[in-house]
Amino acid sequence: MTGPIVELKDVFLRNDRGGHVFRDLNLTIKVGRSAVITGAAGSGKTSLSELLIGLRFAESGLVILFDEVLKKGKKRIIKRVRKKIGGVGGVFGLLPSLTVAENITLPMVISGVRKKIQQERLLKLLSEFSLLKQAGEYPPNLTRVESYLVQFARASIAGQPLIIIDEPSAGLDRKTYQRIFEYLVKVSLSGRSMIILTSEVPSQQIPETDCYQIENGALE
Amino acid sequence: MTRIVFILKELGRSLYRHPGTVVTSLLSTTLLILLFNLFWVVMGTSERFYENLLSEMTMDVFLNEELPDSNLADLTEEIKNTEGVLSVLYISKEDARRELMHQVGTDLLVGYDSLNPLPRSYSLTFETKYMNLADIAEIAGKLQTLPGVMEASYSRGWLEKVENTKSIILEIGLVLGLIIFLSALISSANNIRLMTRTRVVGFQQMLLLGAGRMFISLPFFIEGFLIGGLSAVLSWLVVFYGYDRLTFTRFEVVIPALNEIYLFCLATALLGGISGYLGVRKLLR
Repeated sequence: MTGPIVELKDVFLRNDRGGHVFRDLNLTIKVGRSAVITGAAGSGKTSLSELLIGLRFAESGLVILFDEVLKKGKKRIIKRVRKKIGGVGGVFGLLPSLTVAENITLPMVISGVRKKIQQERLLKLLSEFSLLKQAGEYPPNLTRVESYLVQFARASIAGQPLIIIDEPSAGLDRKTYQRIFEYLVKVSLSGRSMIILTSEVPSQQIPETDCYQIENGALE
Repeated sequence: MTRIVFILKELGRSLYRHPGTVVTSLLSTTLLILLFNLFWVVMGTSERFYENLLSEMTMDVFLNEELPDSNLADLTEEIKNTEGVLSVLYISKEDARRELMHQVGTDLLVGYDSLNPLPRSYSLTFETKYMNLADIAEIAGKLQTLPGVMEASYSRGWLEKVENTKSIILEIGLVLGLIIFLSALISSANNIRLMTRTRVVGFQQMLLLGAGRMFISLPFFIEGFLIGGLSAVLSWLVVFYGYDRLTFTRFEVVIPALNEIYLFCLATALLGGISGYLGVRKLLR
């Protein structure tokens, strides 16, 4: 990869009511940098994450991730790009029929990583997120916080170079939020990129991170 | 967990969570295939029945009174060499008289020994592949042009009926086969769609993680393959059980060859696999 990790150029996206969600949306995130994007409810944060994972497609403009242009019908490219993205919150969720351990290792199973490596990374993450006891549980039996932590663990297990996080602080108590924040700092310092979509401006600064605000369909 | 283990686990989960749907699917597909099998047996049996009937069919070639006996050897040879003719039996005037006496029960020509009006003839049989209306008519046409031949007579009306009946059975078989094929496909696909409807969220999450459609649908392809294959095997076991128990004396029941049955079971399993794939395909859009 030679270019930025994410590049949005003059993106225009309509909403269902005939208006626009984005108008001339531009964003560039270089390798190793992250972005915190704030915006009010309905400003288009979830639409942005949908654009980035190929769930929606811009009417005009370019959406480029990992040097690949996301376009409708380009299933192989979308599949390839999605394997490099970890997701937490928003459209991302857990598979209710799989255990916590199976949910966390799923990105590696899909990519065909060897079982031994899967197990090593799983154990490390389960212990890091204090989820060892819940490893055999199914998502419907988890608390909201536990479910969130499992998603964080899943977003990290395959070393995904980009993590999209939709509302990282939603419903978390102060203690858990602090743990999540420490994790975000750790990810940022590890050289991986994050896009954090939130309605609240974070109280603490995450290193290597730029802050943007969505206003009237554009980033400021 | 490797990909193959994951796929097999997903298959196991699907079968374990919906035993009722799996059994219903298995039984309904077995019944549909059984219906198809029975018609297959009926078609084979009727084909053999008509083959046996046709094998008894003969053609009578009557000769002119003017044809001298010295020309008979050449004529016999010429008829024998006609394409499609299997055997040629010469019937003299005396043979014809004896045959008539045998059929009627009394000699109608007593006292007319020198005036026997019955013509000399040949009785012909044909090779199996020529036992159809078009070929027999062509052979009759050829024979009638030979010098000394008065008429080539065969049961044209009967042959027409046989061919009509055969084509009707074939047409019914094709329509029935198509209906059963579509019913089995739709029924299996719907059953699998029902089983997977509750798992749409899971499929969408897997797609978001970069899983391919084939990876997600493979467990359901295998499930459809197993149900289809097992249904075909079960339906043939029922047919063989019935065949073993029942005895038919008036006609021979023809069961398809074993290699044909193996191929059929494999094709049905593949069809089940395709219907399994179709069952989840819509949910992966």
